[in-house]
Amino acid sequence: MAVRIPNTLNELPASQPRFVGRGIRRVEDASLLTGRTPFIDDVVLPQMLHCAILKSPFAHARISSIDTKEAEALPGVVAVLTGEDVLRWSYPAQSAPEGWGSHCMATDVTRFVGEPVAAVAATSRYVAEDAIELIFVDYEPLEAVADPFEAMNSDSPLVMEDQGSNVMMDRVFNWGEVDQVFSDAEHVVREKFRWHRMGANPTETFGCIAEWSPLDLSITLRGSIQSPSMFALGRASTFGLPPNKVNVISHPHGGSFGGKGGSRGSDITCMLSRKADGRPVKWIEDRIEYLTSGGSQAWDRHYEAAIAVDADGIVQGLDVQLVDDIGATGDMYGAICAAKPLAAFTGPYTIQAARYDLKLVATNKLPSGPYRGMGPPPHFFVLEQLMDRAARLRGEDPSEFRRKNFIRSDQFPYTIPSGNEYDSGNYGEVLDRVLELSDYTEMRANQVKAREEGRLVGVGVASAIEPGVFDWNAYAIVGMQGTGVPEGATVGIDVMGGVTVRVGFALEGQGQYTLVSQLVSDFFGVVPEAVQVVQLDTQSAPPSFGPGGSRLGVSITGAVLGACEKIKEKMIRVVASLMQCEPEQVRLLDGKFGVEGVPGAEMTVPEVAGTMLARSDLLPPDVDPAPVATHVWTAAGRTEPDEEGRAKSYLTAAHAVHVVQVEVDRATGMVEIQRYCLADDCGTRLNPATVEGQTDGSVAQGIGAALLEEYAYDEDAQPLTTSFMDYLLPTVFEVPEIEKVAVVTPSPFTPLGAKGCGEGAIHTTPAAIMCAINDALLPLGVQTTEVPASPRRLWKLIQEAQS
Amino acid sequence: MSALVPVKCHVNGRVVETMVDARMTLADFLRHELGLTGTHVGCEHGVCGICNILVDGQTTRSCLMLAVQAEGHEIRTVESLSDGDKLHPIQEAFMEEHGLQCGFCTAGFMMAICDLLENNTNPSEDEIKDVLGGQVCRCTGYNTILRAVKNAAAKMGSAGA
Repeated sequence: MAVRIPNTLNELPASQPRFVGRGIRRVEDASLLTGRTPFIDDVVLPQMLHCAILKSPFAHARISSIDTKEAEALPGVVAVLTGEDVLRWSYPAQSAPEGWGSHCMATDVTRFVGEPVAAVAATSRYVAEDAIELIFVDYEPLEAVADPFEAMNSDSPLVMEDQGSNVMMDRVFNWGEVDQVFSDAEHVVREKFRWHRMGANPTETFGCIAEWSPLDLSITLRGSIQSPSMFALGRASTFGLPPNKVNVISHPHGGSFGGKGGSRGSDITCMLSRKADGRPVKWIEDRIEYLTSGGSQAWDRHYEAAIAVDADGIVQGLDVQLVDDIGATGDMYGAICAAKPLAAFTGPYTIQAARYDLKLVATNKLPSGPYRGMGPPPHFFVLEQLMDRAARLRGEDPSEFRRKNFIRSDQFPYTIPSGNEYDSGNYGEVLDRVLELSDYTEMRANQVKAREEGRLVGVGVASAIEPGVFDWNAYAIVGMQGTGVPEGATVGIDVMGGVTVRVGFALEGQGQYTLVSQLVSDFFGVVPEAVQVVQLDTQSAPPSFGPGGSRLGVSITGAVLGACEKIKEKMIRVVASLMQCEPEQVRLLDGKFGVEGVPGAEMTVPEVAGTMLARSDLLPPDVDPAPVATHVWTAAGRTEPDEEGRAKSYLTAAHAVHVVQVEVDRATGMVEIQRYCLADDCGTRLNPATVEGQTDGSVAQGIGAALLEEYAYDEDAQPLTTSFMDYLLPTVFEVPEIEKVAVVTPSPFTPLGAKGCGEGAIHTTPAAIMCAINDALLPLGVQTTEVPASPRRLWKLIQEAQS
Repeated sequence: MSALVPVKCHVNGRVVETMVDARMTLADFLRHELGLTGTHVGCEHGVCGICNILVDGQTTRSCLMLAVQAEGHEIRTVESLSDGDKLHPIQEAFMEEHGLQCGFCTAGFMMAICDLLENNTNPSEDEIKDVLGGQVCRCTGYNTILRAVKNAAAKMGSAGA
């Protein structure tokens, strides 16, 4: 049944939406605040065993022998798993690029520190950890490679010998007349940049409980799993099972940000359960495991990039060379982070032509994975540094230089050189509002005074696009297949008028269950407390991807409203029959079905539902008696990528401009953020409070990226950041008050005009802070090109400048 | 490998008297032996503060304390905050200010804030930050948590007045 999903709030069947568009309290909070929400480590199953995993201390080594006898003899140990079992029972993981996946455990050679080598299932975690200390492994250390440039040399040790090279992918994409615009340019600004490895670090690490059913060869996997259906496909592929034999039950989880990981641990616990005759096996990753071998590490990048600017100061070309250190394998999908910039390659600007020279390289570091933003944050850091340099070269204010390069509001929908189409925007207005909010002129005047006093105060202005509603086609260049990412929901109204919505994903923090309740409440005229949101496992749920790629707010809105529309249509037929009128005369408004031209002829939604479910004698003969409907929403108009990777991919393009003032301490190199202001436009705000929460959190992660967070390795690929003492997360002392103002340009293409908003600020924050730091350093005649701008790095730069 | 040791303490107002594995952390004891799973574990090395509980009214990392060390002490966890269906003012404030997103770190924050506000219902911004600075949250960026503390302080101050 074709369904029309409302594109504006006015199209909802409510005279005035009471909940959608308001920052209402979250329905999920009471349970979370009282400690009752069941996170995975809170779950206990009968006969459950606990897993501990022995991990490789070497980045590259051959396993000569493994002796598990003493571990097996330890009281309480039920099963021990080694590479031998893994080879017998499983296949290497799928990967991007294809062919770079490995087994969940080293079978002959270890390729990174922390790669699983053996695992134990025992009656308690304490015993399991005792047991892995009784497993004796003989390693023959091999030469490791930690630097992607060395890894590209022909004499480099090979990370995967079968591949014959460490280069996973080496391709140049040309979109438009790049050589022409560079040769015609008045100025070419070129620079090298380095973005160090960093990542998600949700407060809850990954955890799972696997049950292998020996009789029907099926798996039940509970866990803190961000993308349950993808996880089911992954396990099915590992074990050669049909996907419907893998039931994934995701639990509410303590954040994810794309970096939950867990595939290796899940496969290991599945096989331990198999060895333990189907007893459930729980594995809770500890923080050190997460930091060294979890799903956390992303974006280890070496850039050389240039922009071509014409005589009027319009940027015409962008040339980006990227060497992306993916780590030991491609099965954590870090490569898709190198592909995602295609969805917004040229940012908010009218750049005509672009080149992307992309090399994905394997090293003996942890395989890299996704992280909030999925790759554009470093890309925009690079682009915005070049924009600032060009503005400076021309003696123009960085905000005005950006303004004149912005896509104008009358140019939408706007197709960028790398193929994606931006839906809508009003970039000049966003800039105006943030300049106003920050009192930019005053800020600059204060900066002049501070400089006169010898203080290193800088102001950064940066602008970026947040592609929203991800699509697989955006990642075609690294081998991902498919177009469209369906999200489904089932809405049902019971005999008492209670509304239950069944979805395919778990709570993760973004307030999606609240959003679902808001939508249903305004559609059927109930209150959010009357709406029950239920999460289904993958065997029960309609097609669902869940949160990721700034998509779920838009997608679940489409799914829920589609299902509501279908129920409404069924109810209209029932009401028309009971009221003896034509269906076209029946209208739903504020929870009541009325008949046009017949005042007082009304039925409430609960009355209609009750009639459908409990008075079949009154129903017309051909009506479907279920006030229940499922709708699966997917973005319309997405296209198959061409040879150069160009496609209409991400459906929405949110926009932001951040203005930040920093002071760099000459003596220590410490950066203090003195003011943080932003304006953003993510279309209709379905729950402004949760949108602001996403923005705040994303700014905080951007601050971490710019100033603190880095996974360091030594030259033998040994990780040096293995605890929260070394890997620094922003605290309340590093995150200032975030002053925000919203511009609302609804999307013409989405349910209620909403755009993706979950990843927005991290696209802009690191760029803005780095612009501000470089503005502060200007009087010293030095610039930093390295993220994070740690005190050590800045202090060194300042010392060099002053010597 | 490990001996059982007797321990007697008060947990959320009730006497707990049992044998415990000598090497078991207090966090694991509360969560896995007593079923008080509202206390979460974030790093197990004392940095993140997510496992904060109150020991004799003082904020304590439950991952850095052994269960046997609880002998003779009063333990309070997040489960002690609400009273039936009535939320504690700190919980109400977190809800009103959107002071949580995934909610995994929230118990740790609330217990530390409880320690602060039970001793000082009118804390300065610096005093609040001193307490919040001992813990990480990866979702909120702290702005709304800061507001929640101020809101809770006002609620508790007026209740006590």
